[in-house]
Amino acid sequence: MRFRIYRYQPEVDNKPRMQEYVLEEIQPGMMLRDALLKLREQDETLVFRHSCGEGVCGSDAMNINGQNGLACLTPLSNLKEPVEVRPLPGIPVVRDLVVDMSQFFYHYRAVKPYLKVHDPEPEVEFLQSPQQREKLDGLYECILCGCCTTACPSFWWNPDKFRGPAALLQAYRFLADSRDQATTERLEDLEGPYRMFRCHTIMNCVNVCPKGLNPTAAINNIKKLMVKDMI
Amino acid sequence: MTFRAQGMRAWLVQRLSAVYLAVFLIAVVIWYFSTGEYSYDQWRHLVGHPLVNVALALCFIALLVHAWVGMRDVLVDYVPAMGLRFFILIGIAATLVAMGVWTALLLMSVFSP
Repeated sequence: MRFRIYRYQPEVDNKPRMQEYVLEEIQPGMMLRDALLKLREQDETLVFRHSCGEGVCGSDAMNINGQNGLACLTPLSNLKEPVEVRPLPGIPVVRDLVVDMSQFFYHYRAVKPYLKVHDPEPEVEFLQSPQQREKLDGLYECILCGCCTTACPSFWWNPDKFRGPAALLQAYRFLADSRDQATTERLEDLEGPYRMFRCHTIMNCVNVCPKGLNPTAAINNIKKLMVKDMI
Repeated sequence: MTFRAQGMRAWLVQRLSAVYLAVFLIAVVIWYFSTGEYSYDQWRHLVGHPLVNVALALCFIALLVHAWVGMRDVLVDYVPAMGLRFFILIGIAATLVAMGVWTALLLMSVFSP
């Protein structure tokens, strides 16, 4: 199987290049991550992030044949040859397929992804009915791989100001939580033309999310909450 | 939350103007195909009806406001240089205001003999 992989070492190379690789021994059921590990045996200078190998850690997000995804969840059998592997678009490359996620996590931290409670904390645990808990389904599963945010054109144009789909999904995850008491604060923080309203429902985020989540729906729900709050 | 909020207000105005435009234009198309040919005088008489005149005026206001928010969105995305963005925004605002004034003059002209 033929691969074309993005290679770039900013300290040494003038510009990025695409390097061709061939992998002979393809096993049935092999994922792209397995192929990359084999290719690294051929060429030890190839650098990429990976860890759990089962779509839980979100380390091996990359651009595969033009679409963001996790290498560990992408079967080789679904890929057209030569398989073009590039780093996630729109953020700085550290080396080869490894990107600098600082901007991404800056926005994640900015939405304050933790429960905020103004009342005195209960002596035991916070209680939540099964119906209230259900509202967090499709929100809490995010693994912060960055596939969605780096696939979003609005994030490409305003990476420093637009929170991006992943951070906004998390913002809604806490807005939807019955235990959180900072609704107005959170909504006010997302106001203005940039932080959330750069979203033009392009829905690349929904298209690429390896966990099948829907950040666009979450963003629309935040807008509905804002309208409600305003009225 | 206060209504001066910029992102929210722009988004809401764009959605509301879109709803008005959609409803009004569908109504116009249905009406157009369900009636016979209109002479110039009949058109003038129709636009002279206060309800039709106001509905048309609202349609053009919605169109201009919708265009303004849309164009502003495009510029915020694609023109990061503040000076250039401001310059283009002024140009767009001037064009839209001129169109609005022209439309107002046209709509009011049916009331003069």
